[in-house]
Amino acid sequence: MRKLIILFLFICSNSISAEVNIFSARHYDSDLELYKKFTEQTGIKVNVVSGNDKALQKRIIEEDKDCVGDIYITSDAGRLGAFESKGMLQHANWSDEIKKKVPIIFRSDSWVGIAKRARIIFYSPERVNQSELQNLNYESLSEPNWKGRIVIRKSDNIYNQSLVSSLIENNGKDETLKWAKSLVTNMARSPKGNDRAQILAVAAGEADLAIANTYYYALMLSGQKGEEQKNAAKKVLPFFPNQNNRGTHMNISGAGLLKFSPNKSNAVKLIEFLLSEESQKHIVNNTYEYAMLENISPNELVPGKDLDFKQDNETDVKLYWDNQSEALKIMLLAGWK
Amino acid sequence: MKINSWYISSFLISLVVAIPIFTVFSSFFENTSGSLEIFKNTFLYEYIYNSIILLIGVLILTLLIGTICAYLVSFYNFPGVNFFKWALILSFAVPAYIYAYSLTAFFENYGTLYSILKNLLGEGNYNQSIPKFDGMIGAVISISFSLFGYVYVLTRASFHYQSENLIEIGRNLGFTKKKTLFSIILPASRPAIVAGLSLVAMETLSDFGAVAFFGVSTLTTGIYNSWISLDDLAFANQLSFFLLVFILGLFFIENLSRKQAQYHTPARGRFKKKEKISLHGFKGYLASLVCFLVFFLSFVFPISQMFYWTLKFPENLTSLNTNELFINTLYLIFLTSLVLLLFSFLSNYGNRVSRSKLLNIFSTFSITGYAIPGIILAVAYITFISWFDNTIINHFNLGSFKKIFIGSTLGLVIVYFIRFYSLAFNGIKTGYEKINRSIDESSYLLGYSKLKTFLEIHIPYLKNSIFLIGILITIEIIKELPITLILRPFNFETFATTAYIFASQDLLEAAAVPALFLILIASTFILITSRYILED
Repeated sequence: MRKLIILFLFICSNSISAEVNIFSARHYDSDLELYKKFTEQTGIKVNVVSGNDKALQKRIIEEDKDCVGDIYITSDAGRLGAFESKGMLQHANWSDEIKKKVPIIFRSDSWVGIAKRARIIFYSPERVNQSELQNLNYESLSEPNWKGRIVIRKSDNIYNQSLVSSLIENNGKDETLKWAKSLVTNMARSPKGNDRAQILAVAAGEADLAIANTYYYALMLSGQKGEEQKNAAKKVLPFFPNQNNRGTHMNISGAGLLKFSPNKSNAVKLIEFLLSEESQKHIVNNTYEYAMLENISPNELVPGKDLDFKQDNETDVKLYWDNQSEALKIMLLAGWK
Repeated sequence: MKINSWYISSFLISLVVAIPIFTVFSSFFENTSGSLEIFKNTFLYEYIYNSIILLIGVLILTLLIGTICAYLVSFYNFPGVNFFKWALILSFAVPAYIYAYSLTAFFENYGTLYSILKNLLGEGNYNQSIPKFDGMIGAVISISFSLFGYVYVLTRASFHYQSENLIEIGRNLGFTKKKTLFSIILPASRPAIVAGLSLVAMETLSDFGAVAFFGVSTLTTGIYNSWISLDDLAFANQLSFFLLVFILGLFFIENLSRKQAQYHTPARGRFKKKEKISLHGFKGYLASLVCFLVFFLSFVFPISQMFYWTLKFPENLTSLNTNELFINTLYLIFLTSLVLLLFSFLSNYGNRVSRSKLLNIFSTFSITGYAIPGIILAVAYITFISWFDNTIINHFNLGSFKKIFIGSTLGLVIVYFIRFYSLAFNGIKTGYEKINRSIDESSYLLGYSKLKTFLEIHIPYLKNSIFLIGILITIEIIKELPITLILRPFNFETFATTAYIFASQDLLEAAAVPALFLILIASTFILITSRYILED
């Protein structure tokens, strides 16, 4: 009997300690499948609450030292930086393996990128001629030949804020403000809809150029949005800007270690698992992002699937947060809705 | 004044419900960062402007749809009238955010309408000729079709009780049908219409899902953003002030109209059954067409879009763990209904036995939770628990109770309680008003205790009210999104949160399955209660 009790207590204590709690603002179903695999391999149970980025952050901040969350997962370095700046993440002492896998511009002391995405240009091959595409940079979107031809989503969108933050870093505030003002006059319509809606607008002839993240295009090509949208996507082609200088604007989905993480070692194990070859393959084939590991090729449907484009490997994604409020200010001053 | 347990319990309920209001105001007196200082006036103007335009749009649309339908089904016989009478309230099952998903997917470039046109007419560039219902127009339409039911139900009820005598007066005075409508029927139903419209207005201002989806910045989204993302509490305070002024004003109007509306309930004996006018031929079909159009747009349209997707992508149906979602939803419904009914009984019974004015004031105050947008309620609750724990609990070294109240089922039930207490309280109150006080006195004379009177006399009398309230709470909880999303425990999803999460991955197609389940379950409950809601 005593043995049974001891065994029972052992099982209990084990089942209590072997877990890791995730707050996720990046809620892909495929992520849940990954967590299941992690549990199968390690016996560590993964608990998840997903939701809106800002609301989750508010909950974690207010729960403070009582927060049982270990990991915070979200897309966009600007969001991770914002949360880190509130002091809600802790230094993780990333292992050498993680440091080797993830370039320094895609991680901080307390968060690390687990997948990459590029914010690129999509164009209509019918209405945009090759000479216009030559040496096209983000900076060139302010030129007068694009008047009334560009669609992009609203300024409150974090992807746009991070793009503008990167431009501030590379070109300075004054230049970026000028750029944003001209871009607004080049817009084909008042900003609305998500990235996919921008690509569809080009396909439908409402505009000639769209700015959108790479994975939206792959999602449309995958047929998950139906046959019509698959065909619509084919009417639009991706273009990677800034190939003759710093490279295309890159961003990440990432995981941060929460300040009061009660299961720190399990959390680090999970993050290491997410950066394993197996997980990275799973991610690229389900969310259509780029892998953080160089040897994993993107999904066939993703623009730049051969990784033959120049990525901006100079601009540190940590700057997206540092310049974020300046970026928003510039966009609002420029009249970017 | 006698301080007894009734006072204390009523006071406590009011206190719990008052928490968010106090928190919203008190936490905003802190100083703020404000890097976007220069834009504040622009923002404030934009939020108020958008809220007003949204409100005007929705009120006009719901007034037209609601009263026209109520008028037709109350006074006329035409093909399908008995069907439309209850079919029109099915719109309650479709939350505005799910309507918004359907509207967008149907009209977007290369959306469902495009596919239909292509299949009917062959290849062509239809995108440019398809109207786009997005932004403000999309929000107005989505919210109107999901809320017009309030105006319809209340107006219809008041038409129903309008005495035939009143209408005969019109006829005797030689009024035309049109003049009778505008000079007698509508003025007599004004309180009901106003009550319906103020409910619509409150819900419109509280909406988060649909307006956020369409990118329309209203006061509610503005408060949420400046509170949570910009950490600009002072600005959030300013916005909350405007919003609460709006909402409390509406709340007041609604309560006032409700009271006035009671004057129009005729005494039993003099109630003469109305003779419905039969519409034949063209006029009859026109009336049917109008009702069908409203039924189609409010219910058939969104549900067809969801069915279409579910059939087109059946893998989404199999991959969803519907059993678990169903059990989670039922669990929340069961606990919340139990707590709500228990406390509504407690304070209504307390009010009844003590007949105290003060107690009445407490109870009135405690139903204001309904007026606060769910999303702001949830954030205010978290802020309050955190403050309470950090100051008071910590001060007495009692450890910490945050874990018990945030991210737990208990926390969810408490906030649902605050939000839906008015629904339960008013429902029981209406039921109680129908029980004559002399029944209580007879019961006491027979030697029954207060408890026995309550259990053996009141409860059986109020069976129908309990049933109706239980189902109304059920419908609200099935549809509830922002509170559940922010406060739910780990690994806990409902149909609403699952639909939202798919939608935010830009997978509206996959959101269709949970959305469809949500609508079908809510519809079933609406049908069960239709005879109570329609008060025939």
